[in-house]
Amino acid sequence: MKRVSIITLFAFIFFYANAGAIKVVTTLTDLRSITELIGGDKVSVTSIATGYQNPHFVDPKPSYIISLSNADMFVTVGLDLETGWSPQLLSSSRNTKIQKGSAGYVDASDGVGLLQVPTAANRGEGDIHIFGNPHYWLDPLNGKVIARNIANGLERVDPSNKAMYESNLQIFYKNIDDKLKEWQAKMAPFKGAKIIAYHNEWVYFEKRFGLQIVDFMEPKPGIPPTPSQLVKVINEVKPNGIKVIISSPYFATSSSDVVAKQTGVKVLTMATSTGAFPSVKNYFDVFDYDINQLTAALK
Amino acid sequence: MNRKFKSIYIHPAICLLSILFATVNLKAQTTTDSTAADSVLLKQIEAQMQAAPAEKPSGTQTRSSLSFNPDIGVIGDFQGSYISKGEKNFDMYLNETEISLQAVVDPYARADFFLSFGRNPETGKYGATVEEGYLTTLSLPAKLQLKAGKFREAVGRINPTHPHALPFIDLPNAYVNLFGEEGLNDEGVSLSWLIPNKAFYQEVIVQTTSGFSESPAFARSEGNHFVYLGHLKNFFTLSDNATLELGITGISGPNDSVRITNIAAGDLTYKWKPVAMNTYKSLTWQSEFYFSHNNQTANISTNAIGLYSFLQYQLAKRTFLTGRYDFAEKPYNSSIKEQAYSLTWGWYATEFSKMEVEAKTTDDNIGSRFYQAWLRWIFVIGAHGAHQY
Repeated sequence: MKRVSIITLFAFIFFYANAGAIKVVTTLTDLRSITELIGGDKVSVTSIATGYQNPHFVDPKPSYIISLSNADMFVTVGLDLETGWSPQLLSSSRNTKIQKGSAGYVDASDGVGLLQVPTAANRGEGDIHIFGNPHYWLDPLNGKVIARNIANGLERVDPSNKAMYESNLQIFYKNIDDKLKEWQAKMAPFKGAKIIAYHNEWVYFEKRFGLQIVDFMEPKPGIPPTPSQLVKVINEVKPNGIKVIISSPYFATSSSDVVAKQTGVKVLTMATSTGAFPSVKNYFDVFDYDINQLTAALK
Repeated sequence: MNRKFKSIYIHPAICLLSILFATVNLKAQTTTDSTAADSVLLKQIEAQMQAAPAEKPSGTQTRSSLSFNPDIGVIGDFQGSYISKGEKNFDMYLNETEISLQAVVDPYARADFFLSFGRNPETGKYGATVEEGYLTTLSLPAKLQLKAGKFREAVGRINPTHPHALPFIDLPNAYVNLFGEEGLNDEGVSLSWLIPNKAFYQEVIVQTTSGFSESPAFARSEGNHFVYLGHLKNFFTLSDNATLELGITGISGPNDSVRITNIAAGDLTYKWKPVAMNTYKSLTWQSEFYFSHNNQTANISTNAIGLYSFLQYQLAKRTFLTGRYDFAEKPYNSSIKEQAYSLTWGWYATEFSKMEVEAKTTDDNIGSRFYQAWLRWIFVIGAHGAHQY
């Protein structure tokens, strides 16, 4: 009985403590993680997508509208990554505070140096993004830009805590800088290592950590691997000294396994977002996990 | 409870949470120790890093130029068909060309237009029509949303969906008997309210329309009678991978006997989609039930029922199989009963094109069994808006 009372008390305290927090909804878990680090106990954050699902293809379940309708702030990756699901959810939310152009709308891509911005939009090239490759959070330095955008958003909707958000932002910057040195030191011996990726979502990671993606399992973005593409990849492995195919939790590994069986390369399922695996609990863990995986496989 | 009240009573909670969050932050901040601090390599990295945070990665590009033009898309629907009865058994045609124009109007509303260039199946000639054109508010208080214009009405699951997005080529018999091939798609206003229920999603929609679409069940009144519709949508998240939607609808409006037809409908949809592999595996079971009460004269009225139920299973990333059962009574003569079974195989090449083949067998109690088959190729250029879940 006593235990029940204590649990009830804590539940009561937790409920009312959160009731005054700034309610933030993010599209991806990485944005949630960074928002939690910047907002601290002043925010209550939920993410629509999980860390282990394909961010291009999240089902716009009406249940997400409940949290959006009550949100003070909405954070999106932008660059049309979520174009198939988030605009519909936003307009159904009936919440003016988080519509595009409102104070509570945060496009985390503002100010990010974009890669692979196409010069012509042609769907014959597959599922390309006309504003540039949207997987920019996989460069930890872009994490700093995201954090700045999120802090700006929090300061717009909750100016009374600006000092705290700025302080947390500086801590986040320092942590990224410190961790980046550690990550780059680990990756330095493998600078220029050639790898294969399943989908074109690693360009920012590749550039930051000095890898060289030679080819993709998908013949074109969004097109599943074809037999001819597998043959092409198999023929690229030995001449390029490729040791690894990197994939994501939401892609089937069967075609990569075929290449592995034929060539002996390792297939790594990497973390593309916070929560991809149980041990990947925050934005920093994404890089810890991936770099540990990669360095072990590239040795 | 107001904000001041909360601020007085939550100090212990804030303290506890501050400690909790401080612990979490401390954990995140104390992972930076490096044993290689003095190495030459690390010094080189530090030198590189001094400039790195402020500058963008080399070789980056600026954004594409933007404009205020609406998102424009064109959807083509090419079909071939076979029917085992009648004079003409085979046919092929561009069933429909749909042009969509969608944009936010201002901070208060968005607009959606769907212009359709369809083929009249009897004459073979093409005609243009506004399939939908409506304004939707974004800024009403109290979780209300108003829609005005011409729109597909909120009857269950099939009617609000554009036919090219359905997992079969024909429409269920019961649906066609009541609402026609074009569905209940009418001019008027719609008000929806998101019920403030945190346990599960609930939405109430009330709509008033002119009856202009002249579906079999309703007709445009010469007087001041409109079609009235109410819909309650309940959506339950059963697990990360499974959802259930339960909807009920009531419609009342003038019919072509200058009297009133009342329709009650219910819809039930179960979806299973594993979150991690949602592009590879899924299962949907969807059913709708209709009951219509049609007043033909002061003394004569007809009650009729109809239903469909389909099961769709995703065989592979791009391959879907859908089996459907139809039962329908004619709303003006319930002694005429139809039963049909159909099977549709779909190959979804990309988000922008799909090919489907459907075979169907129909029995009724006035004629002999007949068979139908269709081939459909849907293709999209330009922008393509998201579909409802």
